[in-house]
Amino acid sequence: MSDLVLGISAYYHDSAAALVRDGKPVAAAQEERFTRRRHDSAFPAHAVAYTLGEAGATLADVSAIAYYEDPALKFRRVLATYLGAVPFGLSSFRDTLPDWWTSKRRIVDVVRRELAGLDLGPVPEISYRRHHESHAASAFFASPYESAAVLCVDGVGEWATTTIWHGQGTRLKPVVEIRFPHSLGLLYSAFTYFCGFKVDSGEYKLMGLAPYGEPRYADLIRERLIDLKADGSFRLNMRYFEYLRGQVMTGRGFEKLFGGPRREPEAELTRREFDLAASVQLVTEEAVLKLARTARELTGESRLCMAGGVALNCVANGKIVADSVFDELWVQPAAGDAGCALGAALAVALDRGAGRAHVGTGRDAMSGALLGPSYSDDRIADYLTAGGIPYRRLEPAALAAEVAKAIAAGKVVGWFQGRMEFGPRALGARSILGDARDPRTQSVMNLKIKFRESFRPFAPSVLADDAKDFFDLPQDSPYMLVVAPIAEAARRTVEEDSGLTGLDLLKVPRSVIPAVTHVDYSARVQTVRQRDNPAYHQLLLALKEETGSSVVVNTSFNVRGEPIVNTPHEAYTCFMRTDIDLLAIGGFLLSKADQPEWKEELDWRTEVPLD
Amino acid sequence: MRKAILTIAYVLFVIPAGLVIRVLRDPMRRSWTRGRDSYWQNSGG
Repeated sequence: MSDLVLGISAYYHDSAAALVRDGKPVAAAQEERFTRRRHDSAFPAHAVAYTLGEAGATLADVSAIAYYEDPALKFRRVLATYLGAVPFGLSSFRDTLPDWWTSKRRIVDVVRRELAGLDLGPVPEISYRRHHESHAASAFFASPYESAAVLCVDGVGEWATTTIWHGQGTRLKPVVEIRFPHSLGLLYSAFTYFCGFKVDSGEYKLMGLAPYGEPRYADLIRERLIDLKADGSFRLNMRYFEYLRGQVMTGRGFEKLFGGPRREPEAELTRREFDLAASVQLVTEEAVLKLARTARELTGESRLCMAGGVALNCVANGKIVADSVFDELWVQPAAGDAGCALGAALAVALDRGAGRAHVGTGRDAMSGALLGPSYSDDRIADYLTAGGIPYRRLEPAALAAEVAKAIAAGKVVGWFQGRMEFGPRALGARSILGDARDPRTQSVMNLKIKFRESFRPFAPSVLADDAKDFFDLPQDSPYMLVVAPIAEAARRTVEEDSGLTGLDLLKVPRSVIPAVTHVDYSARVQTVRQRDNPAYHQLLLALKEETGSSVVVNTSFNVRGEPIVNTPHEAYTCFMRTDIDLLAIGGFLLSKADQPEWKEELDWRTEVPLD
Repeated sequence: MRKAILTIAYVLFVIPAGLVIRVLRDPMRRSWTRGRDSYWQNSGG
């Protein structure tokens, strides 16, 4: 008889549900994909219903519910923060205490009520795992390793912001930690805020901005903002941060230190923001490298697993790989709080006696991170037919060949195949694809499809066996969470940049795959193996046959500000709202030229909030 | 009304308690100690 455990993360950001059967993840999804509210923090009712439906189960079949943090411990931290911020924290106290007092400290009761309200059967026992334990479990128990060091770095859970663990078999032992308010995640978020981006969603924009700048503020950051020890432990100088007192990250201290007020959102980026991004990125990389080395020293392990929001900093991850302090690095694809739903479920499942059957096979337990909903060709056909949408139906090999030809000819293709990804990255299930060889692809896709700032680079997928021809990457990167340098053989000599500065530097082709090469010759790589995603693998093979190269631009199937598409309707809507040329959805190929005129009552750009 | 009650509670109870606790043992552990080798704490999990 199977043992089902349902994990839930909710109420802060990136709510999610994950279902584990006998220790193996069988379904997981973020709530935002169903509600279309980016980073939705509401109770993940839709995600819960989906995961149970995918397993053909109800709550009556579930042995245990696992919630991803300890609400009582978190409340004690919140109280300590109120006390610690006096006499300045009045507005935060007034704004947040009522919610904490009435519901957040009794979250298990709230979750029980919400689950009962779904009418999916009687609610089983609900337990919790601490936030960093949930992260650590999502990283280690899902990894391919029998034993490993585990490093979790984020904004904050209950108290812990940085933790090192030792994973062995079905056990995870906590080793050391750093506590709030000292947080690498909050340091990075402070700079995200100061540079005019949204906290908790704009951090990767700051990371993408860093290569344009010089780290001329790095010394100032080390002297005044963070005391970083050789072993990676650190404390922040709280005089410069406002998050203890209120709902903003920085105040006058930052303005004085960095020569002026914060950049307003959507204002023009200046040299200062480029250099601030470069500076905090450099300091963060230094800290993460030192943390990784300490994790090695304290555990004696040669493999490292990572999770927590800072583990989404794939540039820092790339430095760990290049440093070779570990033989291998594995990062949980849902490294943020959504992945905690999975981690909590795995932790409870293994406590109940489940094993890690995948260990020893060389594979992880994530099924390529393809744990979300899929739509059969029959369902897609019904949707297309009901909408009077013109299409052609093709066998998989023919579809792959035709899409490859289109990409080679410079077309942009929406690719909607199989189960949806779990985690923030598109991995060839809900992707928009383009020609990596063409220097025009970057600006075309940015402006006409993503409607987004032009400084952000796109990322490549490549057949795992071909990766070494294009990237200096000594290991697989199946979840696009490692940035690697472009291989020397793939680089192009660049003339003097002709006095180009700032964002214009991106226009200079620097390699044979210019659309995915950043200004510092780096790329955020996804290596693709047939076992993880057969359809995508088949497409890249067809592309290689067509062009000699299996590298493709892979960006997420959405416009700026909306979550990645989930359903055929959302895919078609995004296709029609943008200048995507073709849509390959299941066994069907749709050409933009054949489509009827797209009409909407409202301008959708006013409906989708900018991220 | 709720805002007023919370303000009074903050002024009468939270501020004095916070100041006393900060003098005795700052829960936020804000001070830097340049001479220390490490800020790691034993893990509470």
